[in-house]
Amino acid sequence: MPGPFALFKWQAVFQDWDVFAEGFGMTLLVSVLALALALVLGILFGMMGTAQLKPLRYINRIYVEFIQNTPLVIQIFFLYNGLPYLGVMMPVFWVGMLGIGVYHGAYVAEVVRAGILSVPKGQFEAAHAQGFSYWGAMRYVILPQAKRMAYPPLTNLAVNLIKNTSVMAMVAGGELMYHADSWASSNLYYGPAYIITGLLYIAICFPLATYAKYLERRLEVTA
Amino acid sequence: MKKGLTLVIGMIMGLSLLFAAGCGDSAATTKSSSSGASAESADIKAVKDRGVLKVGVKVDVPKFGFKDPATGKIDGMEIDIAKAIAKKILGDENKIEVQPVTAKTRGPLLDNGEVDYVIATFTITDERKQSYNFSEPYFKDGVALLVKKEAGITNLAGLNGKKIGVAQSATTKKTLLEESKKQNIKIDVLEFGTYPEIKTALDSGRIDCFSVDAAILAGYLDDSTVILADRYSPQLYGVASKKSNEGLAKVANDMVTEMQSSGELDKIITKWGLK
Repeated sequence: MPGPFALFKWQAVFQDWDVFAEGFGMTLLVSVLALALALVLGILFGMMGTAQLKPLRYINRIYVEFIQNTPLVIQIFFLYNGLPYLGVMMPVFWVGMLGIGVYHGAYVAEVVRAGILSVPKGQFEAAHAQGFSYWGAMRYVILPQAKRMAYPPLTNLAVNLIKNTSVMAMVAGGELMYHADSWASSNLYYGPAYIITGLLYIAICFPLATYAKYLERRLEVTA
Repeated sequence: MKKGLTLVIGMIMGLSLLFAAGCGDSAATTKSSSSGASAESADIKAVKDRGVLKVGVKVDVPKFGFKDPATGKIDGMEIDIAKAIAKKILGDENKIEVQPVTAKTRGPLLDNGEVDYVIATFTITDERKQSYNFSEPYFKDGVALLVKKEAGITNLAGLNGKKIGVAQSATTKKTLLEESKKQNIKIDVLEFGTYPEIKTALDSGRIDCFSVDAAILAGYLDDSTVILADRYSPQLYGVASKKSNEGLAKVANDMVTEMQSSGELDKIITKWGLK
C-alpha cells in the first residue's frame, strides 16, 4: 500500500517509539506543572475578582483580560525571544511551563470567580451573622460550594491545557508535538507520525474529559 | 467506562476506514486513467487538461524561491526550473501556478495532489525516495554555519557545548551530529519550523549558531553575522513529485539532465549569483 500511510512508515514509527515516548513524557511533565501553576494563580486571582476592595478587582481584570485577549503563541514567543533582550534567558522548559501556566491561570480565575459568585449572597451574610470572618466564611462556607460548580469546567480547562502544550513545538520545546514534527519532517513519514501523536494526546485528554462529564452528571444529581 | 472504551475503538476504526477509503480511491483513479491514455501518461494528461502546472516552492529562501515583500512576486532559480518544465509540458513557461510550501507541508501537498512538483531546496535522501520521486540533482550545496561576529567563533569546534538552530525537515541535524562526533565535541541541536524563526532565535541569543545549506544561509547574512568557511556533507536538491506520478517524474528528470548538458542550468545558477 503506497501513499502517506504505507506499512513501512508505520513500522518506522514503532521502531523509533522512544522519540515519541520522550516527547510524551515531557508533555506530561509540563502539563502537570503548568496545571499546578494555573490552579494557584487562578484561585488567587479568582478570589481577587470577588474581593470587596476595588484595586484587587482591577488587578484581576487586568490579568484576565490581558492574557485572555492575546494569543498563547505570542505570549510564548515573547517569553522565548523577547525576554532575552531584557536580560532574562529562561530555559525553554520554564518558558513552556510559565507561559502555559499563566495563560490558563486566567481562565481558571474566571471559573473560580464565577464559582464564588454562584453561591448566593445570603450564604455569606449568614456566615457573617454566625461570627465567621471574611476568610473563615470563604474557607468553610463559600469555597466548598463554589468548588462543586467549578470542578467540571476546570477539568475541561485541564484538557485544553494539555493540548496547548503543543505550542512549545514552535520554540523547540522538546515535547510531544516538537518530536513528532521533527521526526515526521525529516523522513516525511508524516501520516502515521501524526496519527500516533494524536492518539497519545487522546490517551491523556479523553479520560480527563470523561471524568469532567462524570462530575457534571454528579452535580446534576446532587444540586 | 465500558461505553467510553467502545467509543475509542469506534473512533480508531472510523479513522482507519477513512484511510482505507482514501488509498483505495487514489489507486482506482490511477488505474482507470492509465487505461484511458494512449501514449501519454495520465498524470501529464491531467496537467495538460488543466492547462497549468502547479508547483510548490519556497518563499523564504532568497535566490532559490523568495517572495519579494515590495512587489509580492515570487522569484528564484527554482521558479526558473519550474518555468522550464512548464514550457516542456504546456509549451508556455508562464503557465505555472506557484504555491508556497514549507518543510512541513511539501510532502503532504504532493501526496494529496495540490501540487504537481515540489522544487523547494528539497534534499534527496534514500528515506525520502521511498515516498517520492526525485529527479537528478539540479544543485549541490554543503551545510554551513552562521554565527554572530561578536561571538568570535571560527569553526565547529568553537561551538562545543553550544546550541545550534536548524530547520525541521532539513538533513542538517544529522550532518552536524555526525561531524561533531568525529571532532569529539558536544553540541545541542534545536529544530525550528522556518528559517526566519531560527534567525530570530539567533538574534535573541537563544541559539549560538544558525546552520543550514550554505546558499540558503547567504540570504540571512547581515552586518552582525558571519558565515564560517567550513562546509559539511554536500546536499543534493532534486525536483520531487508524487510517487505514483511517474510520467511527471520522467519529464522533470529529463528536463534537469537536458538543462545540465545544454549549460542552461549553469546559466540560471550564475544568473542568481549562486556560484
